Amino acid sequence: MRRALLNFAIFVVLAVIGHLTVLYAAPGVIMGAAMDRMEGLGLPLHAFAQSPRTTPETQTVVRPSPDLAYSICRFDFTQIDGPLEIQAGVWRDYSSISFFDSRTNNFATVPVLAGDEAEPTTRLVLYPPGRSNREEVQSRSDYLRAPSKRGLVLIRRLAPTAEAYAHVERLAERDRCHPITD
Amino acid sequence: MRRVLISLSIGLLGLVIGVASSLWTAGLTRWGATFHLTNINIVGWTSDWSIGSSSANAYVRARVARHGLLALEKEEAVYFTRNTDDLGRPLSEACTYRLTGQEQDAYWWSITLYDEESRLPMNSDGALSIDATTIGEAETWTAAIAAVKPEDSASWISSKNAGAFDLTLRIYRPSAAVLESPEVGIKPPSVRRVSCVEEVAS
Repeated sequence: MRRALLNFAIFVVLAVIGHLTVLYAAPGVIMGAAMDRMEGLGLPLHAFAQSPRTTPETQTVVRPSPDLAYSICRFDFTQIDGPLEIQAGVWRDYSSISFFDSRTNNFATVPVLAGDEAEPTTRLVLYPPGRSNREEVQSRSDYLRAPSKRGLVLIRRLAPTAEAYAHVERLAERDRCHPITD
Repeated sequence: MRRVLISLSIGLLGLVIGVASSLWTAGLTRWGATFHLTNINIVGWTSDWSIGSSSANAYVRARVARHGLLALEKEEAVYFTRNTDDLGRPLSEACTYRLTGQEQDAYWWSITLYDEESRLPMNSDGALSIDATTIGEAETWTAAIAAVKPEDSASWISSKNAGAFDLTLRIYRPSAAVLESPEVGIKPPSVRRVSCVEEVAS
């Protein structure tokens, strides 16, 4: 009887361990694989790259919106010693800058108000996790702190037609994602 | 020695079942639960307000990573999916549907069709979605979902090569009223099956 109870306990404990391990590891593993895939496709580190217009042939992540143009910047604070400056050109329609950590959390999204393309770019500064100047970062809305060392910055712009996408492609040349050096 | 081997076997079985159940319930396998979130259900359109946020539970987080990577927090966008028609029948490439809806209380919205793998279906029809800009300013709108464009439909989403599919309703910059009371603020599009064929020509 005692043996049977022991075996039952072993079964339950290992089932729970297996279940929770997979569950909690999955987001990080999936995000890591997606970032590795982007690297393999030639997306640079610390620079925005405009994704091709989303079609069945060009999709690289699950459930992309074919109506949005995406600019992606991979960041890795193990490779640089300092914050990143993010700039996005103003678009005439929906636009936003969103930040994702290595476990898929959308830790910040900054709406970019629609406007004339001649307007100055929207500027943000992204700091690495756990560094000093915490008060300064907390006191300014354009200063953000990443919760993980690796992640993605994504600019979404509404571009449901080929014409709008071509326009965004030219505009995206003004996007910046680069380390700030003293 | 025999008892130890039995215990090890039972432990290994538990581990395998634990891993498999996690893959299944979190929708991490091809055959597991699909991108179906039940925190909010508005006439068959399901969502979860914790998508994208650190408050999401482990199951939501895993499902979003697998089926909706890089999803935004609800203040910027909310996502609804459905994989059945108004009568609860699975959506299929073999059938034609009439989609009917209204403007949403938001900056912009769209409806996109995805296959079972959460991918855009492999076709060159150029009709992957409809959105607020293509529907125009009419308060109510209709669109067709079919493998071949029906002659009487101006708005069309192609289901060619989609097999069993689902729909995602994206609502960007939803109003405060939508976030506070989605059951009232969201105007859920209806998905009515019009006809089906036995087999779809390849």
